[in-house]
Amino acid sequence: MKRVILPIALLVTFATAGEQFAMSDADRAMYKEMLENNPADIYVEEGGELFEENLGGEEALAKFLGVSEKELPKYIAGFPRYIKKLGNVVGIDQVLQAMEVEQGKEKTKLKSEKMFSMLAYVKSLANDEIPNIDLSEPHEKASYDLGKKTFETARGGRGLSCLSCHSKDIIGQVLRTQPLPDLGEAGAGATWPAYRMTKSSLRTLQRRFQGCMKNALLKVIPIGSKEMVGLEVYVTKLAQDKKKAIAIPGLKR
Amino acid sequence: MAEARKSMIKIKPKKYKTGDIVKVDFIVIHPMDTGLVKDKKTGKIKPAHYIDNITFSFDGKPFTTMKVWETVSTNPYFSVNFKVPGKGKITVDYTDNTGEKNSKSKKLKPKD
Amino acid sequence: MKRRNFIKSMMAVSAVAVTPVALMAKEEAKAKKKGPNDMTVEAAIKAITGGTDVKKSDIIKLTVPEIAENGAVVPVKVQVDHPMEESNYVKAIHVLNTKNGNARCVDVMLTPANGKGYFATRIKLSSTQEVVALVELSNGTFIKATKSVKVTIGGCG
Repeated sequence: MKRVILPIALLVTFATAGEQFAMSDADRAMYKEMLENNPADIYVEEGGELFEENLGGEEALAKFLGVSEKELPKYIAGFPRYIKKLGNVVGIDQVLQAMEVEQGKEKTKLKSEKMFSMLAYVKSLANDEIPNIDLSEPHEKASYDLGKKTFETARGGRGLSCLSCHSKDIIGQVLRTQPLPDLGEAGAGATWPAYRMTKSSLRTLQRRFQGCMKNALLKVIPIGSKEMVGLEVYVTKLAQDKKKAIAIPGLKR
Repeated sequence: MAEARKSMIKIKPKKYKTGDIVKVDFIVIHPMDTGLVKDKKTGKIKPAHYIDNITFSFDGKPFTTMKVWETVSTNPYFSVNFKVPGKGKITVDYTDNTGEKNSKSKKLKPKD
Repeated sequence: MKRRNFIKSMMAVSAVAVTPVALMAKEEAKAKKKGPNDMTVEAAIKAITGGTDVKKSDIIKLTVPEIAENGAVVPVKVQVDHPMEESNYVKAIHVLNTKNGNARCVDVMLTPANGKGYFATRIKLSSTQEVVALVELSNGTFIKATKSVKVTIGGCG
């Protein structure tokens, strides 16, 4: 087990007041209700329209992936996936980009609102499915291992890794009034893209990773890179292990 | 026709009869800027830009009006009840402090 | 395990060093800018009621979170247990706050066609404060309910 050495400055901000900041049941019910009126629903709907008009919708996606439309939801729940014709483990957004290239259309940037909306819509087709990432596939396993390694590697000015705040020992401790969650139990991999209240916009998982990295003074890794896709595979597997169903769009602080 | 501003009307529950009281939810994408906050990128104050009036009507007859202030959240949500008189159309007309006018409609289809 | 003990000893230090209250949004910490709509809750209530007496009432169910995860998006729900008949109905629900520069959030004018005295929305709260549901009945009386919401500056980003 890797040693997690936390600089004293950071440790002082941890408080044992976990219970005080933990959400009450009544509050939890209120925030759950907000999911029924998620502003992100509008972006997801829009993403669906763009996906349909510009790329040919589910029919075209199923054809590109070599599956039937009926199999599509379960297949989408297995992303990020190894796509043979792309030679890599990729996210849904990269597949959409590849479809654009195949159709001779202009590539939509991965880090664009248009792509976030389309990604959210396509992932929402897998709502209620539990992620089914298949680690018996060697490329998938390699991506998972890279993601796990990235998660555990300390880097940056403070010598922090994702583990510094998201390891099993730290779960429940409070960092600046936020009880640190068990990423698997919280279903992070199944509930992003989500509407982020602090950003008043639809955010994707990899973008959240980038935000986390910025805050921890780690060099930000580009969206769609091997390491980012690996991180997404790793974090999604955590949700898979806790049998968390996909529910897009999510709603986060 | 492309809508100027993105919004959604949701009726809950999905199945209802004439005489039932349904929940009418209206969500709209709008900055609701207070006019007191700086834009992080430009360093300039973002001018006040918020929805100030909303009217909910059924077949042209208003049943709820709201005066809205800049203290309401960005991309706001407004929810009221409505007793279904029969088949018809709910329209939400809204204006903001810049004078921008918008409208969104949804048909009510009671399963009598 | 050496690491665990190390962290435990640090926890003991931090429990004393940092109290939750210190992390809560400080009320007058920042110099507040004045907005053109600024109005105190007392002035707002007076403007709405014309100065008549407003009593607290149990028929108003005001639901807000105890602790707001994010002060910019605080859910508020008001349910008034009162008929909605032609000559006896909930005429208006006013949602107010006590510490924002502008105490007013939304003024909702209802009619019997609503079927129920209900309204929900999401508001911004600048700091820990109270949310007020001021209700006007068709007979001209005003009643209210108040609840407190803790607003914390949360998390890392």
